[in-house]
Amino acid sequence: MRFWRVIEPYIGFLLQGFALTIAACLLAIAGAVLLGALTASMRSSGNKLVRGIANAYGDVFRNVPFLVQLFFFFYGLPELGIYIGAFETGVIAMSIAGGAFVSDVILSGILTIDAGVIDAAKVSGLSRVKIFTRIVLPIAMRVSVRPMGSVLINLVLTSSILSTITVNELTGAAKIVAATTFKPFEVYAVLLVLYASLTTLLSFAISAIHHRLNRFMTGG
Amino acid sequence: MRYADFTPYDIILLLQGLGVTLALFIGTTLIGLAIGLLLAVVHHYRIPGCRPVIVVVTEALKNSPVLVQLFLVFFGIPAFLHIRMTPVEAATLTISLNTAAFAFVIFRSGIESIDRDQIEAAKVFGLNRSQILRLVIAPQATAFAVGPLVGILVNQLQVTSLISVIGVFDLTKIGNILNLRTLQPFIVWAVIGLIYYIAAKTLAHVGGRIEAALRKSVKWGGI
Repeated sequence: MRFWRVIEPYIGFLLQGFALTIAACLLAIAGAVLLGALTASMRSSGNKLVRGIANAYGDVFRNVPFLVQLFFFFYGLPELGIYIGAFETGVIAMSIAGGAFVSDVILSGILTIDAGVIDAAKVSGLSRVKIFTRIVLPIAMRVSVRPMGSVLINLVLTSSILSTITVNELTGAAKIVAATTFKPFEVYAVLLVLYASLTTLLSFAISAIHHRLNRFMTGG
Repeated sequence: MRYADFTPYDIILLLQGLGVTLALFIGTTLIGLAIGLLLAVVHHYRIPGCRPVIVVVTEALKNSPVLVQLFLVFFGIPAFLHIRMTPVEAATLTISLNTAAFAFVIFRSGIESIDRDQIEAAKVFGLNRSQILRLVIAPQATAFAVGPLVGILVNQLQVTSLISVIGVFDLTKIGNILNLRTLQPFIVWAVIGLIYYIAAKTLAHVGGRIEAALRKSVKWGGI
């Protein structure tokens, strides 16, 4: 198999890149969820200014290309005297861009909860913490598994753009392999199939979690 | 005056970049929508052997990074087939196919949203296949598809920024040039971002108006 012959000597190198991709995605999804939760709570706030700031953040970071955002941070942060590595810059940029999408998901998850349900919980004498962990969170999670999953899949695809700021994640590693072997077609074809299978597997996993969390629902 | 300062000519440079971005976006959108529509129609008529191929190819395009697709087309295909390809050709080919993959899914669900009874009824009235497609399926599927399509196109406009990586002189590439010359990343990238933002917002606004106009005919207007 000609594809395997080209790739085989560089498997270890590519796996290193793959590990970096996974690390970037995990850190970025954690950052995006934190930022998204904060933004979602700001967007549901009664204060007009707080709401405006949160809405503007979401609007701007969803309508500007990620590459431009990335360059803004990569070239801009050193201007401010903040010297961090390309990988860290990439994770920060991915978290900020992801947070804009996650805030939407969380907000719509919380909004699906009927006010009556929370009133009923209060009347039953549940504490505020209990109401949040036992009532609000399980219901919100049920509806937000799928949209959250598609944000995660998008982050995996977006992480390939980090290769443009010298991070040697999977795509960056593959670029080096293609340049060394002079076999760009084989290398990039394998890479494309790899990414596609990774994201397809992820979407199967997300479907499984969705069905697991919704197993008590009827007709859903 | 230092060479590093901004000059009035930079505005022309930015406009040139915007022109390349918009031209490529409009071109790939038209090609992509046409291919996506064709695929959806082929898929609808169950031409033997076509369905699995279409589904696998469009899923692969939707589930892999556009940057990798660009590299495969720009570096891979010329090396494999021993042909020449300019960055603009590679960018047009890649973004068109990518748009087509997303458009196919939307058109397919648009076609599937139409009740089978309607098609049966049209057959009973003696309409032939192409008449059913043109008079029954197309208008309803279009009204159904416009909303999601606008969403995808706003996204594809942002995706076009990636073509700067393979050397197309689009808006992002101009940003790179200005950034390297002036060394003022905050101003340069904020301006580039603002231009993209305005373009995306305008596109979403226009799309919303078109959708409203198409939905008007679907709404029940009374007798």
